[in-house]
Amino acid sequence: MVVCIAESINIMSNTIGPAMKERNPKPIQEMAKVLADSGADYLDLNIGPARKGGDELMDWLVKTVQEVSDLPLSLDTTNPVAMEAGLKAIAKGRPLINSVSLQPERLEKGIPMVTKYNADVIGLLWGKEGMPRDANERAALAVDFIFQANEAGIATSDIWIDPIATPICVDINQVLSGLEFMSMLSEIAPEAKSTVGLSNISNGVPDDLRLYLNRTYLMMLMKYGLYSAIVDAYDKELIAIAKGERPEYLKLVHNIMDGNEPDPASLDKAELEHYKTTRVLLGKVLFSNSWLTT
Amino acid sequence: MAIEIPNAAYSGKIKEVPLGQEGKTITFGGETCYPFHLFEGAMPHPPKIAMEVYDRAPEEWPDTVMEPFADVAGDPVAWANKCIDSYGAEMIMLQLASIDPNAQNTSADEAAAIAKKVSDAVDVPLIVWGCTNVDKDTEVLKAVCEACEGKNVIIGPVQEGNYRAIGATAIGYKHTVVASTPIDINLAKQLNILLGNLNVPDDKLLIDPTTGALGYGLEYCYSVMERIRMAALTQEDERLQFPILANFAKEVWKTKEVKLSSAEAPLLGDQKKRGILMEAMTAQCVLLAGADILVMRHPEAISLVKEAIKDLMTTEEG
Repeated sequence: MVVCIAESINIMSNTIGPAMKERNPKPIQEMAKVLADSGADYLDLNIGPARKGGDELMDWLVKTVQEVSDLPLSLDTTNPVAMEAGLKAIAKGRPLINSVSLQPERLEKGIPMVTKYNADVIGLLWGKEGMPRDANERAALAVDFIFQANEAGIATSDIWIDPIATPICVDINQVLSGLEFMSMLSEIAPEAKSTVGLSNISNGVPDDLRLYLNRTYLMMLMKYGLYSAIVDAYDKELIAIAKGERPEYLKLVHNIMDGNEPDPASLDKAELEHYKTTRVLLGKVLFSNSWLTT
Repeated sequence: MAIEIPNAAYSGKIKEVPLGQEGKTITFGGETCYPFHLFEGAMPHPPKIAMEVYDRAPEEWPDTVMEPFADVAGDPVAWANKCIDSYGAEMIMLQLASIDPNAQNTSADEAAAIAKKVSDAVDVPLIVWGCTNVDKDTEVLKAVCEACEGKNVIIGPVQEGNYRAIGATAIGYKHTVVASTPIDINLAKQLNILLGNLNVPDDKLLIDPTTGALGYGLEYCYSVMERIRMAALTQEDERLQFPILANFAKEVWKTKEVKLSSAEAPLLGDQKKRGILMEAMTAQCVLLAGADILVMRHPEAISLVKEAIKDLMTTEEG
């Protein structure tokens, strides 16, 4: 079972963005209800960098959503003032801070809020020098993050490590190092939880094809005990996978990852899609937008 | 203890693509190993150089590279003949630079007539290159396909935005197409798949992964070219098993480093030698990354690179 954080309440959305700006609660509340009904365990409230008036917006947004939903909230902004305003406004559920990275200013302002507001925190493995280049750099950043958080009195079990998912069409090696790191995390920090911005994997891919990558990638991460994922909760099949309702596909994908390749001729349509997608995500076949049909 | 030389395990082969008119074709591709790894496999058809010819007299070239062509600029046929007769060109690339709507906006008919004249005048394989404007290239290159019917001209750039129109016309008139993508291996594969779906035959397709000049992003281009070859030869990626064309002369010869005079930039050394070496070094890099066809300009840079290819193709057995 993977805890599902629904990603859709996002200032970048064509419907939600304007609603946030106009302080129009209706589209946001409707979406919150649909996401809760779809099986979301958390709602992510993403207001972006929110440089101007971010605190007032996050305060309003938290209250607006909590009027119609009891789900815990993941507050998603790089503006620490907005983050704090959101944490203060939360009336129910243990909040999730999304996120604190290892950049000094983010760490310095983010960490104290975790203990002050009794929150969980996503530890984003983004270091002083930016994106980690491989699995070992991710491991070093994870150890560093957990150490600094522990020093500040945060329990390791309240930390959700995010190894950063990058688009398959940007650099397959980064996808592979993210997976490799996830296979190491349970040894590095057995108590730490994990999460990943799942839809990033399919960024840049035509919209109607993205869900295939998202679904199979989730199953691959589940092999390594992924605790939670920030997901497109409108994809019912994805939620079913996260809730453990597709054990046969899970087994297929994990077998391929272990090198036990099935005979493609023996697979039905959906199995074949997972087979082909696993192979491009493992770098065995070079990705192109036609990966499902070649 | 004897040292064991590690050998790469190859499972694929680059497709063989014959270029040029019937009876006078030169075949490219056929590699079964990484570039010049002749101890691991075969390179039956060594890389070759296509010399650039422009449809109109160029205006912004440094004198150091204009000088060899000063007497033929403005006459593409004479220019092409000079490349072949004086400099031993094995291929010609006719750059239809003037068709660009931001340049002289030469019409499709006029451009096609120029291409036809050059194709009638030369026996070596001829590449006809557009201006990269998707709409204008469609119009012009379709006209070129028709005018040069039966000559197996190499037509490019064919991009995501115009591959259908140009690809279909090229199939109709039996020309070869160059699939051009912006330094991205996934997009390169995708365009080749699309051209295959359109029924462009495998022996009528080349890859142009886009090549920058030395110091201007060459390392990215190198890396994409290298990865294309790795996927083709070690992952059996069938849609990447095509010869690669590297079109970099126009990138090299517009850089600041080749344009500054010796007096303006004494620390950069002699201007002429500098430009020649910039072009030759760019060529050398893409050769090692896997290019089969190098599009080049300066005769002295070309002779340096021809010599390098000859050296790299030499094996102990001779």
